[in-house]
Amino acid sequence: MALDDTRLRDLLTQSHDLHSDAMETTRVALDEYVELAHDEPLHDDSWADVDPVTRRTTLLRGLPKSGVLAAAGLGTAMVALLASPAFANKTMDVQMLQTAASIENLAIATYDTALTLDFIGGASANAVVKAFVQKTKEQHQQHAEAFNAAVTRLGGKAQDQPDPVLLGVVNNAKPSLTGPAQVVDLAIELEDGAAQTYVANTGTYSNKNARIVTASIMGVEAQHVAILNAVKALLAGGAADLIALPPDAAKLPAAAGSVGFPNAFYPTTDARPANEGAMQ
Amino acid sequence: MRRSRKQQIAISEAELVGMTNDLEDAHHETLPSMRESLVEWSDSNEDIRTGITRLVSTASSRRAFLFGGGAVLGGVALAGSGLGNGLAAAATRSGLAVPAAVPGQKLTGDLAVVALAASLENLAVATYQAGIDAATKGSLGEVPPAVVTFAQTAQSQHKDHAAAWNGVLTGAGKKAVSGVDLTVKKSVDKAFAQVKDVPGLAMLALDLENSAAATYLSAIGVVKSPAGIKTAATIQPVEMQHAAILNFVLGEYPVPDAFAKTTGARSVKDKVG
Repeated sequence: MALDDTRLRDLLTQSHDLHSDAMETTRVALDEYVELAHDEPLHDDSWADVDPVTRRTTLLRGLPKSGVLAAAGLGTAMVALLASPAFANKTMDVQMLQTAASIENLAIATYDTALTLDFIGGASANAVVKAFVQKTKEQHQQHAEAFNAAVTRLGGKAQDQPDPVLLGVVNNAKPSLTGPAQVVDLAIELEDGAAQTYVANTGTYSNKNARIVTASIMGVEAQHVAILNAVKALLAGGAADLIALPPDAAKLPAAAGSVGFPNAFYPTTDARPANEGAMQ
Repeated sequence: MRRSRKQQIAISEAELVGMTNDLEDAHHETLPSMRESLVEWSDSNEDIRTGITRLVSTASSRRAFLFGGGAVLGGVALAGSGLGNGLAAAATRSGLAVPAAVPGQKLTGDLAVVALAASLENLAVATYQAGIDAATKGSLGEVPPAVVTFAQTAQSQHKDHAAAWNGVLTGAGKKAVSGVDLTVKKSVDKAFAQVKDVPGLAMLALDLENSAAATYLSAIGVVKSPAGIKTAATIQPVEMQHAAILNFVLGEYPVPDAFAKTTGARSVKDKVG
């Protein structure tokens, strides 16, 4: 395989240095939380800059439109509850941040599991894929820390558990993780779900800094998706040898140039419900 | 565009094309939600206009956005290969008038940010067109087919982004921005003049993509309109995806940062024309 281990290590080191610069944006946003937490008591209505339609849409994301819950009238009750001013304060921001942290926690656990598989983290693994999984897991750890720091600065409790619904998806998928392609598929589902959730939530937060923290992460998850999509295509085409840094660009199939980013506008149709990973 | 003949690949192109088509279908499914967002924004034009003075919520964020432009593309020195001259022509061919005036239109607040975004997208479209033209002429040597596809797809998406932003402007009763960010264009012209091969073009494109993504991230922190925030939020990740693939092609680690940066974000002080 065309892999320069030294080069890869250098790149990862450079990446770490660059990360320190990038952290500055998030740090500034988190620091401002302290000021805002002092400036804005929890009972304040901090939705002044978010329109009611956006808030309602996000609040209702994932609620059943039919079925047992709807038949029981819970949907209507939930709508009334969520629409009340008392609920529509920082609680919503905290819930979205906790859900985000829960998605990150699940991603970390899933990549940890993947690394125990020989074809991802063992001797038979593609070295670039293994390095990517390791690095991506680290980045998710940093995301989880950032989201939880935001949660606590808004007066909530840090979420250290995985998203319960997505956990079921991962657990169901585990027996079928028999090769790199299946792991990549699962990773795409998690990364894309995270990216879509953060894109959707960015337009919903009442707290500006919660919005900035989330916005600084959503694009990174989208980048994970892009690379995973490209890797998936190469694996599907039996061209795992082209998964290398640097790649042999001349040998890459034409479609590999665009398969990573299929949407001009990042979708939100698969965004997770805002309170799915919130602490009860 | 002249393609590389070194295509020794054990991969089913048909399968990949099929996957791409599936993804293309998925793309079209995302457009309705974008349209809803834009309609929502148009419906709130009055809010945008009256909210101009409330555009930035803190002094620090305002400073960061207004003066955060920095030295985008500053690392590239002048040269005289003549490729730079092709940029203006390419801009015209791609449907962008350079310079395209926005006569008698003074935009402030959220709409100024929208105009800046449109001008950056227009510049990206023009730059990719210039790259495609240069490759077609053989000025860049052998061009891998994946790079061709990347440039065409990225350019198409930037056109979509520009159209989205211009839809906001026209929906607010303003004129669409057909020109480019002239401040950045100066740097792009200098950089493009030095481009002699695919990696050089990829580096230039990477700078533009990173700058656009940084600008959107900054904008998300200062734009007042919820629909504007949502629009920027659906575009910023796509620019970052472009950057990831460019990093990969260049042999760099594709996702170097755990958090997106605002370094290199453009300012509403940039000249648009």
